Amino acid sequence: MAEAIPQLLVNGIALGAAYALIALGFVLVINAVGAVNFAQGDLVMASGFAAVILAETLSAGFGDAVPALGLLVLPLTMLVMAGLGLLFSALAYAPLRGRPPVSIFISTIAVGLILHHAANAGFGPEPRIGPALLQADTLRFGSVVLSVQQIAVIGAAGLLIAGTGALLSRTQLGRRLRAVAQDPEIAEAMGINGARCVALTFMLAVALAGAAGALLSNQFFVAPGDGGLFMLKAYIAVTLGGWGRLDGAALAALLIGVFEVMMAAYVSYVAAEALLYGGLLLVLFFRPSGLLGETIQRRT
Amino acid sequence: MIRRFAYASTVALSILCMGSGIPSQARAAEAYVPILVPITGFIAIEGTAQRNGAIQALENAPDGVSVTYEVSDTSTSPEVAVTALTRALERGKPVAAAASIFGTQMLAMAPIAKRAGVPLITVSGTAKLTELGNPYIFRFFPGDAVVKVAHARYAVETLGAKRPALLYQTTSYGQSGRAELKRILDGLGAPLVFEEALAPSVKDMLPALTKLRAANPDVILLHLHSGPTALAIRQAREAGIDLPVVAGSAMHQPTTAKLLTPAQLKGVCAESASSPISESDPKLVAFTEEFRARFKTEPDAFALAQHDGINMVLASIKDGAETAEDVRAWLSSHVFEGLAMTYKSDGKGNMAHDALIVCYDGASPVPSVAKRFHNVDGVL
Repeated sequence: MAEAIPQLLVNGIALGAAYALIALGFVLVINAVGAVNFAQGDLVMASGFAAVILAETLSAGFGDAVPALGLLVLPLTMLVMAGLGLLFSALAYAPLRGRPPVSIFISTIAVGLILHHAANAGFGPEPRIGPALLQADTLRFGSVVLSVQQIAVIGAAGLLIAGTGALLSRTQLGRRLRAVAQDPEIAEAMGINGARCVALTFMLAVALAGAAGALLSNQFFVAPGDGGLFMLKAYIAVTLGGWGRLDGAALAALLIGVFEVMMAAYVSYVAAEALLYGGLLLVLFFRPSGLLGETIQRRT
Repeated sequence: MIRRFAYASTVALSILCMGSGIPSQARAAEAYVPILVPITGFIAIEGTAQRNGAIQALENAPDGVSVTYEVSDTSTSPEVAVTALTRALERGKPVAAAASIFGTQMLAMAPIAKRAGVPLITVSGTAKLTELGNPYIFRFFPGDAVVKVAHARYAVETLGAKRPALLYQTTSYGQSGRAELKRILDGLGAPLVFEEALAPSVKDMLPALTKLRAANPDVILLHLHSGPTALAIRQAREAGIDLPVVAGSAMHQPTTAKLLTPAQLKGVCAESASSPISESDPKLVAFTEEFRARFKTEPDAFALAQHDGINMVLASIKDGAETAEDVRAWLSSHVFEGLAMTYKSDGKGNMAHDALIVCYDGASPVPSVAKRFHNVDGVL
């Protein structure tokens, strides 16, 4: 078992990094509109299918002339999903702006169901495989085997998480987004267009879901029913990390990924699942504000 | 004559009939056969194959047999399946229903079907289903008591395995198959050296494969649904585990093989009731070609078994069965030559008694039949 530890760790971190991308998008929407986006998991699934279609289209159009297809598909998927995020914001949030948060999260549940059934009707129930980011191969160091795709997932997710952090903390746009998230009325009084910022937040959140979907669709395939799993893990990460904390969500997501993989390897999957939920209950009992504390003192 | 009703039109017709005081039984002389299968969720591939097989049979009903049908999605929960059956019973008196491949749903639907006196035509492999003493269950896919014999015997007798390891699903399907495999392997003198249950949602199987490798097995047995089967084989190959694999029937499905490269498929075999795409029999070729044209996908054993099951119901109607009870009695007492095999009830509703093993050669995504196991339980 010892020689498998490096690959298990890589798998756990890669899984956690993908969960982190999903959770970041989740937190962005919570902060921006004060409601949970229950479609986040299905948006990840939809982006997996978007990556599959883009890869097939590029392959059909250019054949082998496209080097590193996955590297091209990743930003294209994020772009497509950002567009979907704008549409999502216009159809599922804007008409309900000012209504109680429950209206918004019911609206997001409806969007999730529509995406799920649309994928099932459009692509059929069978899983599809997305493009590898670099190559679907392994690196061998003696008895240690590492998946190139998993290492690439960690690298890509790390860059995107760092980029999101930098965008929000170091740019004028990020400050505006955060200002609207913290106090929309005051932000608007200071001349910031709140509706536009919320729409941009949805675009960013759904683009991050898009990155996660594209990265996961190669290693784990993508099927119409996958949304619920991603949604659940993102929700747990956000709760564990601290409601509304971007850094908390990313940290908790990484911990969940590594915990799941290592616990499954050394005990069992059933124990990993049970202990994860047990840990969530303990955190909620002893530290209800999450590991890093809440930034917004309201839960939907 | 076949007429297909969309759900909305069925509801509208029901309202019209109620309004005009026409009894639902007098609405039409057609036999009503609802199709209650999972077409969304983690078992949607198998359920969709079921649906397609049933539809192809109903659309080709013999002359003189008039049938209506509608499709309801049972998704993945017993509650949804029970609701779908209850609603079908409220809409009319079905002579039979094509029912879910998912054992957990069948176990929930079985008592309702018994109370209503409606035969359920299923391809679920869950062994317990036909051990309940319910005379309204008819299983047209060989149960675990049949296919797992082929599964285990091929691994032990043909591949010479002495140290098998098993990954199975946590669902009732998985647990039923695991129990049968364990019993048969013990009897063959090749007990499991490793086993682990995986939830259908598990994506990263490296932890299980790492423990499996540490147990030093000589063959990997899989009893997983379609997607998890492909994930397990792919991740095993990527981890450098090149042991032979004998998988459950999900692996014979063309949609599963499509997820793997020919190199990853090398050394992979699967148990099944049939493999329509591997056969050269003209009737099976005709079935496969019509299926491809109609549904734009490849048929699998579940589609063929459900097709045969519904064809046996249609044969009973052709032979004079008018009510659900007539159909039940006919299915219980007759032998039927289907496309996949000969079907006959063992007295518990197990209609299928043959199994086969298909194997991939590492070059083609179409498997070839490696071994046939006829009349495994001696019913025929």
